[in-house]
Amino acid sequence: MEKAILLESVSKKYDVGSSSLEVIKDLTFDVNENEFVCIVGPSGCGKTTLLRIISGLEPPSSGRVLVFGRPPDPKRQRFGVIFQEDSLLPWRTVLGNVEFGLEIQDQKEAEREKIAKTFLELVGLQGFENYYPHQISGGMKKRVAIARALAIDPDLILMDEPFADLDAQTRSFMQRELLNIWSKLNKTVLFITHNVEEAVFLAQRVVVLTKRPSKVKQIINIDLPYPRARLSPPFISYRERILTAFHEELEVT
Amino acid sequence: MRKLYLRMRSLLLASTSVIIFFILWELAALYLPSPYFPDPYSVLKAFITIITVGDIDGYTLAWHTLMSLERVLLGFVVGSATGVPIGILLGIKPTLKNAVTPIIEPIRFIPPIAWIPLSIVLLIGMYRYIFLIWVGVFFPVLLDTIAGVKRTSITLIQMARTFGADNKKIITKIIFPGSLPEIMNGLRVGLGVGWMCIVAAEMIGGEPVGLGRLILKYANLLQIDTVIVGMITIGLVGLAMNYFILFLEKRLFRWRVEIKA
Repeated sequence: MEKAILLESVSKKYDVGSSSLEVIKDLTFDVNENEFVCIVGPSGCGKTTLLRIISGLEPPSSGRVLVFGRPPDPKRQRFGVIFQEDSLLPWRTVLGNVEFGLEIQDQKEAEREKIAKTFLELVGLQGFENYYPHQISGGMKKRVAIARALAIDPDLILMDEPFADLDAQTRSFMQRELLNIWSKLNKTVLFITHNVEEAVFLAQRVVVLTKRPSKVKQIINIDLPYPRARLSPPFISYRERILTAFHEELEVT
Repeated sequence: MRKLYLRMRSLLLASTSVIIFFILWELAALYLPSPYFPDPYSVLKAFITIITVGDIDGYTLAWHTLMSLERVLLGFVVGSATGVPIGILLGIKPTLKNAVTPIIEPIRFIPPIAWIPLSIVLLIGMYRYIFLIWVGVFFPVLLDTIAGVKRTSITLIQMARTFGADNKKIITKIIFPGSLPEIMNGLRVGLGVGWMCIVAAEMIGGEPVGLGRLILKYANLLQIDTVIVGMITIGLVGLAMNYFILFLEKRLFRWRVEIKA
């Protein structure tokens, strides 16, 4: 089967003045269609850069990136990207924000509203169509961003620490919601986080990155049925395994 | 109840200071040695004469005001139609902005009056007015538009790019609507400055109408009471325009948290 994402010895260097900073070095992994994969790594390890490369916003310095067999290009493929920071347009209502991606992709106006409303319902925000972003909570903003990403029927969902700014309660609620949505929609999800527990709770596979310049340290399959109990012994043992790998990267400096 | 009380109090304070202002004016008229400095009463009389009968050429105050408004609004339209697009262009192209800054910055400080001789040499009729008003409108609009574009969130631009937006869509759907509050502020300031240029603009041209013309006509006749009528009218119309745009801003930008309070 064709891979949803394929990275082959991808490297990324930035020129910083006269020297160059190597953020990603020789990174290789793949993601299957409909799979939920989490990437964990120490902060500053180039996770966001990786996401920008996979969504075609930036080319790699060397190596090969393929999304469903083609070099990523947001003009020809549909990416649903969810950012860590608030990425809603403050001058648009909730409904207007969910319509945004469809509008960029020249979807007809009547269709747009219908689709947007369907996805607002999916994320549990029916009745909030006419609110402005500053009138709703952080968790609701994230759900609007998720609805906006899903509305374009994306080939790939890319999430960059989307729940990092939320409080613990909202965060675990959003994690369950996300799994719920994922099980309904059959989408490929690549989820970046620095929270190991979040990765074990969500992913079928966890890719642990090394510190900068990042490459794959370890890939761990999480063979646990959903929904996962955070306090069950196998959950804890997966968490410990990943934490150990993760901490090795934090200590070696 | 408390709200009503606070409103009454600020109303009372405002009217008190207006009354004190007129008393001081009256005293100044009484004790200043100049025979040309009018008291509030003679200005009021001049006001009524200009409104009802008109000036020495028969033009009423409404007519003067309308003519000036037409000139200023034309200059304002040209000023915004140039200031906003150029501002967006310079905002998204920092190298271009750096290249033209040494030209724009000194020009910005040349007052409209200094442009009068050049505009007489180069332009005719209505174009002179439009140009002189434009000088006042263009720069505030330009600078605020650039500031608005620069404030655009990079996350929003990246978000639009991941949906496949091209540069045109980024400008029309992210940068322009996101800069609108600053642009509106620039338009408000620009309209105010343009309006203040009206006397300078109307110094030239032989036409007998316009608030600037009214002032100059009566200054030559040394009838200062009517000069003050023109001055007050300019002040009040400027104030009204400012409030009108502030009102528009409040309605348009309900999405802004800052304005909500």
